[in-house]
Amino acid sequence: MQTSDHFDVIVIGGGHAGTEAALAAARIGANTLLLTQNIETIGAMSCNPAIGGIGKSHLVREIDALDGAMARATDRAGIQFRVLNGSKGPAVRATRAQADRVLYKQAVRQIVESTPNLRVFQGSVIDLVVDGDRVRGVVTQSGLTFGADAVVLTTGTFLGGLIHVGLEHHPGGRAGDAPSNALAARLRALPFRVDRLKTGTPPRIDGRTVDFSVMQIQPGDEPMPVMSLIGSAAEHPRQVPCHVTHTNAHTHQIIRAGLDRSPLYTGVIEGIGPRYCPSIEDKIVRFADKASHQVFVEPEGLSTFELYPNGISTSLPFDVQVNLVRSIKGFESAHITRPGYAIEYDFFDPRDLMYSLETKAIEGLFFAGQINGTTGYEEAAAQGLLAGANAALKVAGKPAWCPRRDEAYIGVLVDDLINNGTNEPYRMFTSRAEFRLVLREDNADARLTERGRELGLVGDQRWAAYLAKRERVEAIRAMLRSHVVSPGDSVAIEIEQRCGEPIGKPTDLLTLLRRPKITVDALSAIVGAFPSNDAAAEQIAIDVKYQGYIERARDDIERVRRHEEVRLPDDFDYAAIAGLSTELKQKLAQARPDNLARAARIPGITPAALSILLVHARKARASA
Amino acid sequence: MIDEGLALSFAGPRSFTGEDVVELHGHGGPVVMDLLLRAAIDAGARIARPGEFTERAFLNGKIDLAQADAVADLIASRSEAAVRSALRSLSGEFSTRVNEIAREAFDLRVFVEAAIDFAEEDVDFLSDGHVAGRLERLIGLLDVVLRTASQGALLNEGITIVLAGRPNVGKSSLMNRLLGYDRAIVSETPGTTRDVLAESVDIDGVPIRVVDTAGLRSAGDAIEREGIRRARQQIDDAQQVVLVVDDRAIATAADVIAEQDLPTDRLTIVANKIDLSGGITGERVAEGPQQLGVSALTGAGVDSLRQRILSLAGYRDDAGVFSARRRHLEALKSAGDCLRHGAAALREAGAGELLADDLRRAHDHLGDIVGVTTSDALLGEIFSRFCIGK
Repeated sequence: MQTSDHFDVIVIGGGHAGTEAALAAARIGANTLLLTQNIETIGAMSCNPAIGGIGKSHLVREIDALDGAMARATDRAGIQFRVLNGSKGPAVRATRAQADRVLYKQAVRQIVESTPNLRVFQGSVIDLVVDGDRVRGVVTQSGLTFGADAVVLTTGTFLGGLIHVGLEHHPGGRAGDAPSNALAARLRALPFRVDRLKTGTPPRIDGRTVDFSVMQIQPGDEPMPVMSLIGSAAEHPRQVPCHVTHTNAHTHQIIRAGLDRSPLYTGVIEGIGPRYCPSIEDKIVRFADKASHQVFVEPEGLSTFELYPNGISTSLPFDVQVNLVRSIKGFESAHITRPGYAIEYDFFDPRDLMYSLETKAIEGLFFAGQINGTTGYEEAAAQGLLAGANAALKVAGKPAWCPRRDEAYIGVLVDDLINNGTNEPYRMFTSRAEFRLVLREDNADARLTERGRELGLVGDQRWAAYLAKRERVEAIRAMLRSHVVSPGDSVAIEIEQRCGEPIGKPTDLLTLLRRPKITVDALSAIVGAFPSNDAAAEQIAIDVKYQGYIERARDDIERVRRHEEVRLPDDFDYAAIAGLSTELKQKLAQARPDNLARAARIPGITPAALSILLVHARKARASA
Repeated sequence: MIDEGLALSFAGPRSFTGEDVVELHGHGGPVVMDLLLRAAIDAGARIARPGEFTERAFLNGKIDLAQADAVADLIASRSEAAVRSALRSLSGEFSTRVNEIAREAFDLRVFVEAAIDFAEEDVDFLSDGHVAGRLERLIGLLDVVLRTASQGALLNEGITIVLAGRPNVGKSSLMNRLLGYDRAIVSETPGTTRDVLAESVDIDGVPIRVVDTAGLRSAGDAIEREGIRRARQQIDDAQQVVLVVDDRAIATAADVIAEQDLPTDRLTIVANKIDLSGGITGERVAEGPQQLGVSALTGAGVDSLRQRILSLAGYRDDAGVFSARRRHLEALKSAGDCLRHGAAALREAGAGELLADDLRRAHDHLGDIVGVTTSDALLGEIFSRFCIGK
């Protein structure tokens, strides 16, 4: 066995989780190696060519705030940008971008290749070097051993990957890529809880064979949104629209007729299915009354004719796929370039991880991404960043870090996974965040960048941009606070006319912003001290208007922190505690929450049960 | 004025909990206690959690480690039992309405959260006034429940006890004993009570409706048959049935139950005329429904019957019960406040996310009564109702 160099951190896998992990470790200063089966696939998007969306864009902004790559790559590859939920409020406002696959990959690769401390190597990892309960390195297919103090595993859907099209199936990590079966077998032998999940993708379509004239057009937003704090619309490539069409009764009939050859409905696929509808088959079967389903026709890139029909993921046999596609309006003559398929793969129970994403069983081994049971590039990237950072921190002898639920969606994600596990591919939704009003796209940097700088994650360019924004926010806030408007003066009259709000006594502009009818856009037009659409002014307005709600959220956050101070011992014998239901005893024994706040988040826990835990915790501490 | 009583003040650490404690001792029964509790809340107090006083005593070192388990037990049992009692003492009507409210609040949340998290999937309900309308209706429902509950109507209405049994076992005499005066016609001739007599009885300040039926027996004249039909109706509708039998023929109780098809899950057997039989007074240990030995003539054992009726109705002289009931009502009030807040946010700012926050809080308050819902459960409900893709 040939031995190669030793690294501080080795990342296995070059997808969204792997790249963010490798970059984060390198930024902190660890000597990092990114090991991938195929260097050409670094930063590849496996299915939907889009980044962001509701819940997901929040993760992207947080990754950006910590100087990750995703948002910047999106700005360089985004070919259609939209803001969703614009009218429902700033906390649920989300940015979504269609991305050119090729440009995206290029952008990520460029960032990887220009980051110091980071090396890339093409090789398939088949084994881990484990010494007792510590990881020491990895072994590739060609017999090379790389030593490492920390290893981050981000193999996505490759472990034991099995691709299904109709009743035919074959091993695959992704269409066109070999799975990692040797590694999968090796990992299954280690003390981890493993199960199978599945996900799917639609057929890709040749855009030259599509009739767009009968479809609804969906252009991007004007002005063009920007993903990264340090990005700009100028970086965006040429913009193109998406289109929308629908399935119909005929489509549904074709699908129903093909169900007996569907791997899903004939029980061939073992992986657990989600509660939502991952495939068009699910939609037809579960919601039989729905007359038609939306199909978003998304361009895959500027230099290709391929299209991604979002909404018809399927693993039906190919002949059925062809018929069902051609029954859809606009696709009557469509040619399929790649079949849709379902893929099942191994995932590891995230309850076997610590908050740093290090495994409890093996020291130095970190898991991130889809292998922890999540779905989505953004969810994977967020975990990757965290795992990579913590791997580097560990090697440097520094404590690990994980944001809290009230600090970031990343915190919600990790906390949900670590505490509750998952039995369907976990996707982020804003409704998962109880502090949603505080975790907004617009304040991701205010929440995370300073911490990121302390940890060594945030580089100089971003730090400077962040400081500049912070100063600007302070300056505008001060200006608004000091500008007093009196009844009868010209500004007051204009405000009354424009906003329909009478001004009864001398009030400063900051206080006036509290009133729902007075908007920051109106003030911009009237007072002229800052342009409309100014991000800093916008952030101030949100803080002011949401003050009451934010204060309530802060009270809740305080309560949680107090509960966190009540530590629960590792060896707590939950079975022996009188007054808890059997179900709760089991859940507590399995979760082993280390403080009362975490116990409080276990589904089914009651206030009475918490009181009981509090009593016993104090008792345990007193008698220790 | 609510009541005249005693107020005792203990300065910490020389009190039960080790903190400053004030005890208010009243005279009245459950209804007065409840009024006292409400007045305290209006003055700014918060209802203690189950076992909280004991918990504080322990946490302040007033009770030692050995008693910690007992404390935990106390918290758990009081919590469950109190909740059960509270729900029982509030009528089935209350429970039904609260569940309806909780259901509607959950439904609204499902709509609003779906509209937020799945805006692209054709589920936008916030813009069309649909949600605003439902919100108004929900607030209205809550207001009605709160109003009637605070008027005591829900506490009082609907607790009906039916006296059943063969003719001439002394039902009417028993009724008169409970009432305290001679309302029913009592004579030696079997079948004297032709009508169904209903009276409101005051037991420790709690109004209970007692219904005396015609002595049920087969056949007889038309008036008797009509009386029998009405009696049957009463038995089916009542919360509790008291089967009166002559203690000297106590073995016939099982026969009567079978004959008259009495519901055994809400039955008490009163063995009357112990003055003649010499049987045990009051609570008896026996298989099957609770038996009480009573003499309507002398009054012996009638008190045990009163207490049993109260206890089955959920009224025990236990502060835990009132707290639980009051907690329910407070939870409803808080939920209503949140909903109003949310309706305003939607109206004034069109802010769906602020409404969602208020709905979540309202739902959490209702969770005190109907159990907590996690955000994951909410998601599950959204997925089962709306066709959401990958």
